[in-house]
Amino acid sequence: MTLSVALGPDTRESTQTGTVTSTDALTAPDIPWNLVIWNDPVNLMSYVSYVFQSYFGYSEPKANKLMMEVHKKGRSIVAHGSKEQVEQHAVAMHGFGLWATVEKAAGGGKDGGSGKGKGKRG
Amino acid sequence: MAKAFKYGIKGITGYLEPAERELLRSLIDDVISMLQPAESASEDPLTALIGLDMNVREPSDRALRRLLPNVTKNDDAASLEFRQLTERSLRENKIGALRAAALGLDTNELVLSPADARHWSQALNDVRLVLAERLDIRDDADAEHVHTMQDWSQAEDVESYLALVYNFTTWLQESLVQAMLQSMEPRG
Repeated sequence: MTLSVALGPDTRESTQTGTVTSTDALTAPDIPWNLVIWNDPVNLMSYVSYVFQSYFGYSEPKANKLMMEVHKKGRSIVAHGSKEQVEQHAVAMHGFGLWATVEKAAGGGKDGGSGKGKGKRG
Repeated sequence: MAKAFKYGIKGITGYLEPAERELLRSLIDDVISMLQPAESASEDPLTALIGLDMNVREPSDRALRRLLPNVTKNDDAASLEFRQLTERSLRENKIGALRAAALGLDTNELVLSPADARHWSQALNDVRLVLAERLDIRDDADAEHVHTMQDWSQAEDVESYLALVYNFTTWLQESLVQAMLQSMEPRG
């Protein structure tokens, strides 16, 4: 199982300070790429949640939250990292049959992205 | 009739009738033949070894494009470059999962290891993506319309038959994923 880079700074901060972190911490200049999952009418909601849980190691509530964001908003940023890292995630998502793209964090993230939860991760 | 997958003492188990297994096998074979690259691997042994394919292009077939999507939304050059580096191994990965699932279709009683289950869920998903393109499912309303076809006595043409097959594979994948999620529950 690959540990998502999205867990990095966020988890560290929450374990050190116990505070709720915002997406700002996740789009810091040193982690400039997003992995985006797009909605499609075929992939099962349960399957998408399963992929988020099994591949990224996300908790069930977090995986479901991201899955619902994909379903309702049409897209969701599910991980952040270097270009190389998010490209690796994208090809893994394509392997699962999810529709994934990568984008520079600065130009994207209009939908607010992920990671607005309570900072507690799987 | 097939029985839904379930998670129990033996792991993930399911049951399929011979006709259902034959159907799945032919669906899987179709997707495998779609995914097999048109040209054989690169002549250059080194580029072949690292999976490079400089001749690769974005697929013209919609279903294949859905299986092997672009990695960026608006940058065709970057998507093509990524495709040259990764598409061959992605095709091989998908074919591997499809073949593994097909191998498991030799008996009525299915007992899936965690790896088998993952291959099955990937294979069923790819089969459904292809069927959905053939059925022209573009949005949730299309999907719901197709979903209303549940009665095999309604199968009167190719499209209604495909819709019934799609609904069968959807039902099978949903039951499998539910069993897989259950099997994941007691994790730390």
